[in-house]
Amino acid sequence: MKKWISAWLCMLFSLSPLIAQDGVEIFGYFESQIMGTKLNNDFIQLYSNKLRLDLKSNISKNITFAANFNYITYHGKTNWNILDFLPQDAVAEVPPGMEAFYVLPFENRHFLDNAFIKLSFKQFDLTVGKQQISLGTGYVWNPLDVFNIKDVLDPTYEQPGHNAIRLDVPLGSIYTVTTLFSPEDNWENSAKLLQFKGRISHFDFSLNAIEKTWCFHDYKQFDFESMNFLEMPERRRLLGASTAGELFGLGVWAEYAYNWMKISEDFYELVVGTDYTFDFQTYLMIEYYRNTLGKTDYTQYNLNDWMRLLATEQKAISRDQVYLFIQHPATDLLNIGLSTIYGLSDNSFALVPTLNYSLSDNVEIFAYLNLNFGSEGKVYSRKMGNGGLIRVRVYF
Amino acid sequence: MKKTMILGLLVLLMTPGLFSQELTGEEIIQKVNDLFNFDSSYSKSKMTIVTTSGQKRTFISESWSKNKGEKNLVRYLEPRRVKGQAVLMLNNADDIWMYFPRTQRVRKLASHAKKQKMQGSDFSYEDMGSGDAFIKDFSSKKLEDEKMEGHDCYKLELSRKPDGDVSYSRLIMWVIKENFVPVVIDYYDEDDPTLWQKRMVESDIRIIDSIPTAMKIVMINKNDNSQTEMELLEMKYNTPLDDKMFTERELKK
Repeated sequence: MKKWISAWLCMLFSLSPLIAQDGVEIFGYFESQIMGTKLNNDFIQLYSNKLRLDLKSNISKNITFAANFNYITYHGKTNWNILDFLPQDAVAEVPPGMEAFYVLPFENRHFLDNAFIKLSFKQFDLTVGKQQISLGTGYVWNPLDVFNIKDVLDPTYEQPGHNAIRLDVPLGSIYTVTTLFSPEDNWENSAKLLQFKGRISHFDFSLNAIEKTWCFHDYKQFDFESMNFLEMPERRRLLGASTAGELFGLGVWAEYAYNWMKISEDFYELVVGTDYTFDFQTYLMIEYYRNTLGKTDYTQYNLNDWMRLLATEQKAISRDQVYLFIQHPATDLLNIGLSTIYGLSDNSFALVPTLNYSLSDNVEIFAYLNLNFGSEGKVYSRKMGNGGLIRVRVYF
Repeated sequence: MKKTMILGLLVLLMTPGLFSQELTGEEIIQKVNDLFNFDSSYSKSKMTIVTTSGQKRTFISESWSKNKGEKNLVRYLEPRRVKGQAVLMLNNADDIWMYFPRTQRVRKLASHAKKQKMQGSDFSYEDMGSGDAFIKDFSSKKLEDEKMEGHDCYKLELSRKPDGDVSYSRLIMWVIKENFVPVVIDYYDEDDPTLWQKRMVESDIRIIDSIPTAMKIVMINKNDNSQTEMELLEMKYNTPLDDKMFTERELKK
């Protein structure tokens, strides 16, 4: 407790000279959330409170500073035994005596999520510091995004910041070249990105080349020095493209990435999506995702596959998936929706009814249920637990 | 001298529509269209949604337009929940991009997104649209003149052309004779031209930079029993705007 108070005080003191400046905006949100799931015969609940404090200052005409600090507390069931959610076959792979390591702790934390300075000139934008990196046109899955993995149940939630130096050079009003360097302990392990973006007719496109070290873990070996599962870093080189536009009145997008791995097998990812808004305001979206790292036979999912999926190290363990989303504004303030995620490779699916209500100008409520219908061992199996989430967010 | 006078009178008499000839529906809608299509503009507006249950939601946004509305940029300032969200529309809203500052993502939207409600209001992006929609997508017919909202008005019926790319089958428009401001527009259902959906009423008309401008627009939704009021807080016409303002780069600022 003492630590957090000190951190807050430190932050406030360090911010005070900034706040004293003219033009420093302070904003953010407070979010309270309850998440529950029915597991076997129990209903387990996890509560969390998150305070996000944003700062933005236009230091001069060409220089912007922005940062945000997150403070999160957890309550209720704060230690989740991952093995409770896994199929028997995977649990059987756990080395004897290591069962206690498969616990996911939700610990209170505070951290500087983003903090960057952006220099904007006629010829270029240079962004230095911890910043969000968003790549690709997919809604749920982004083959090009080697920095983030979205939650399929909540794909629009903000992604964490990454330490990087980014240079955007506009070539006229249509084309942009972007280079990004995300430093690690040495040049080889650091992430590098080169992107060319543009537009042809009504289609946006991007061509991308990325190199990044991918940090997998071997979830059958424990490293007592780092007190974590054994890290298996591996260099990943990617070439990919994305596009978004309109065809026959439908919104369409596609994203493709081929990955060359230094040690393990190469693989590719593909996303194709389409959407439409009907005259009665109902919105419909379908997205198909293929990841050849995923398996076609669910009996081949092993402990490492499951752990990498749950630890968001890997986007999918099932090769082909489809996401279907339908939303309708029930009133001016209430949107209701339904997502369906179907694992084509293992014939399992999840239904996710959603609700979004605007309680006042700056207060919104978001809720969803997560109902899995697959049999044990499949990616959306009932064993993963049926539950839901209610989130209230107040913006200030 | 006599000859010159006679010639002059002849010219006057031969000039079509100078004195007595009535304007046709197409001519009136052309004048309405010309009124909307200024070279460039900047505005700051306040949008208040009154829901069926009587609750209010208020949004403040800034917008810039160029090339007679062919390029548009809208950026939300308030409330905090949507602050920084921005919409870029190019090619008369055939190309739309939306920027979400929380996720730093720019999403390209297809033109069907124009049918979506703007922030849950009774205005769709299409209603806010610009360019030549009244001329390009509708054919117009002049009806009997009427008094509306205290003004002497031309009454027009606009019917969607077979290839018209709009969500309304028909519009009835009352245009003030004095300045060609469309003071009231009734919108009819996409499929049923007898089904009245929404009414837009413009008021508080002021002359800004020689252009008659409605400072207040109310959209009444007959179906949902709700209404949205749009109030112009600031308006400038023909302000010099760089083309670079209407790019994805600017959208993210």
